[in-house]
Amino acid sequence: MPFHEYVLRNAHRIMFLAAQHVQLVLLSVAVATAIGVGLALATERAPRLRSWLLSTTGVLLTMPSFALFGLLVPVLGLGLGPAVVALTVYAIFPILRNTVTGLETVTPAVVDAAKGMGMRSGQRLRMVRLPLAWPVILNGIRVSTIMLVAIAAIGAAVRGPGLGELIFRGLARIGGANALNEALSGVLGIVVVALLLDLSFVLIGRLTTPRGLHV
Amino acid sequence: MSTRDEVANATGEAKSWVLPVIAAALVVIVFASINARELDSIEARLLSGEEILARVGEHLRLVAISTVAVILLAVPLGVLLSRPGMRLLGAPVLAVANAGQAIPSIGILVLLAILFGVGIWMAVISLVLYALLPVLRNTMVGLKQVDRALIDAGRGMGMSARQVLVTIELPLAVPVMLAGIRVALILNVGVATLATYTNAGGLGSLIESGIVFNRMPVVLAGSILTVALALSVDWLAGVCERGLRPRGI
Amino acid sequence: MSDVMIRLDEVHKRYDGQAGDAVAPLSMEIREGEFVVFVGPSGCGKTTTLRMINRMVEPSGGRIWIDGRDVTDVDPDELRKHIGYVIQQVGLIPHLTVAANVGLVPKLLGWQRDRIEARTAELLDLVGLDPAAFGGRYPKQLSGGQQQRVGVARALAADPPVMLMDEPFGAIDPITRARLQEEFLALQRRIRKTIVFVTHDVDEALRLGDRVAVFGEGSRLVQFDTPLGILTNPADDYVRDFLGSGAAVRRLGLLNVGDLRKPEPADRLPLRVSSGDSVHSVLERMLRDGADRVIIEGESTEDDRELTLRELLMAGSAR
Ligand SMILES: Nc1ncnc2c1ncn2[C@@H]1O[C@H](COP(=O)(O)OP(=O)(O)O)[C@@H](O)[C@H]1O
Ligand SMILES: [Mg+2]
Repeated sequence: MPFHEYVLRNAHRIMFLAAQHVQLVLLSVAVATAIGVGLALATERAPRLRSWLLSTTGVLLTMPSFALFGLLVPVLGLGLGPAVVALTVYAIFPILRNTVTGLETVTPAVVDAAKGMGMRSGQRLRMVRLPLAWPVILNGIRVSTIMLVAIAAIGAAVRGPGLGELIFRGLARIGGANALNEALSGVLGIVVVALLLDLSFVLIGRLTTPRGLHV
Repeated sequence: MSTRDEVANATGEAKSWVLPVIAAALVVIVFASINARELDSIEARLLSGEEILARVGEHLRLVAISTVAVILLAVPLGVLLSRPGMRLLGAPVLAVANAGQAIPSIGILVLLAILFGVGIWMAVISLVLYALLPVLRNTMVGLKQVDRALIDAGRGMGMSARQVLVTIELPLAVPVMLAGIRVALILNVGVATLATYTNAGGLGSLIESGIVFNRMPVVLAGSILTVALALSVDWLAGVCERGLRPRGI
Repeated sequence: MSDVMIRLDEVHKRYDGQAGDAVAPLSMEIREGEFVVFVGPSGCGKTTTLRMINRMVEPSGGRIWIDGRDVTDVDPDELRKHIGYVIQQVGLIPHLTVAANVGLVPKLLGWQRDRIEARTAELLDLVGLDPAAFGGRYPKQLSGGQQQRVGVARALAADPPVMLMDEPFGAIDPITRARLQEEFLALQRRIRKTIVFVTHDVDEALRLGDRVAVFGEGSRLVQFDTPLGILTNPADDYVRDFLGSGAAVRRLGLLNVGDLRKPEPADRLPLRVSSGDSVHSVLERMLRDGADRVIIEGESTEDDRELTLRELLMAGSAR
């Protein structure tokens, strides 16, 4: 069966898996954002803890993903659990890193002036520092998201949701009629998902970057 | 800078003895628990000493072959693409390679397996394809950031373009290139865990068999050993990176 | 005549992990509506002293009163909302418009929107920026001088009785700086704030201050007097050095001809100068000593020449 015909016939299923894939990635990125930004804020007064967290989450990222999934399966079983946890673990580093960098690059004089005007530390964070760091933080979230889209494919090895399933089914049927079509639709689906998410980040960036920053 | 480069930097900052110590501890834990447990016949077969050694050997062989191949391909290609006549080609090649990063590693492995069959060499090709980009990119970036004035000075002294490349540009680009090679190495260790799906063995096959036979001790042992291997390779790469950097840079 | 607005009593500061005091115990009184300038070499503790007044830096000891209230009795954030603060880097918030920057403190104070808008427009007007043209711009769309005007407007937003200004014109080109100083003096004559102004530029200090506090190392207060008083009677060699050459000419800048009274006629000794001295320096010394003749020393006594002030002026005149 030609590839386009396969895709048309299975469009429903492919779309379903793609949606699953996106949900899995976005869920993990959301959790990782809460953790990464939270850790960056919580360690503002603890620079040594902060650099320890950075190198530790960095080392976690060098762990082969299949092994991390494998470590989690005995604890969390097969399926969604290990996939979300593993993806979250990978996504923390870029977000933590960029939040730290973003906050550090806010011009000290601006924060000083805000303090001199009587803004409380919470107000300074909410009204001055986070908005100014936001473009850098958002870029960290984008990097994590795109990275997770590819890693999530491996989640199917532990019966995780998403387009990886098509790749592994193609693998299981090597020599069969539709093996190539299945694997190819999975791979291309993932590339398209990555592309679309990347584009949406460009859009989100445009919409949420405070205007005064790019005039 | 890519996230991978930042990771290489961040882990480079970690205390040098921490990673190998953790790796060694993990290995000890695995073997101690294997010895302490009553293993059933499947577990015993998968987790015997020779089996594990064989898996580690396969894994290291995959990583070594493909990393060497990546260096042999990507460095000359990067040099070629940074030569004056080829500059224009550099940007599009990098763009394509960058976009290629969106393809999941398991996707490349499986597609190649379906199209051309399984085996070690298919696995090596997949690893090389996947790890080519960081070395290619860093070679180009490393050469590009060499101070123009130094190159002009070299030409002014009567060196040929080739001599300038060998005696000035390449040595100055080495630190950036080494960082890229280290990233490629880390990627290769990771992707090699998936080589089991194209029948090329490696530590990933312990994890896979564990899942297939529903033997959690095997899954755990495979995963922990893989992590230990990755940490050790990363640490070794860091050590080599520091040692190979030309002095005075 | 007027009340004391700011009083420092034995205020001092030692930063953690530093051997000496950044600011040695310092006492001074600043009257309501007075424009006081702190001047001294870089690192002598001017900024630290200033920032202790609005508690951006907590003093290591001593007490500070503003308008009769001990500043440590007030919540620091509340305190700062009622003290204008202007810094060299301005520190406008880049993602807020000019109007929003100026209206920020009133907003923090919970003013109504109409009131904030009216106040913002009034203040921009006051510092010489057209509210219609500038209110909607972002800080990046302004020149350095315009940014500093906005900084001043922002500090004035809640009509604070006290303004603290840390080298506000330090990063601005000389021509714009002179204009800003001029305008700011005119503004101060209208609004009559109590101002503490920090600079390391003697000329700026003498031009702007009602009184000038000259600091030495470790925030030692060497002299605290009117510009005229400092130029006429420098407290010691340190102040004299700090004023540098040209003090006598500078002093003239602070006097109006109408202020002068006819002096008693007196015989003055001629000033002995060497032929290599510049006319400028000779005139400066004649002015300082009240001399009306100079003897220009030659190779030997026979070669000496004498010139009167009148001849010197005629010879040096451009025509
Ligand atoms: N936050 C700080 N921590 C430690 N030392 C400081 C700090 N701020 C200023 N200092 C030191 O205190 C002294 C006075 O500094 P400062 O008040 O900034 O002087 P000025 O404004 O007169 O140039 C200097 O020696 C400076 O190094
Ligand atoms: Mg200062």
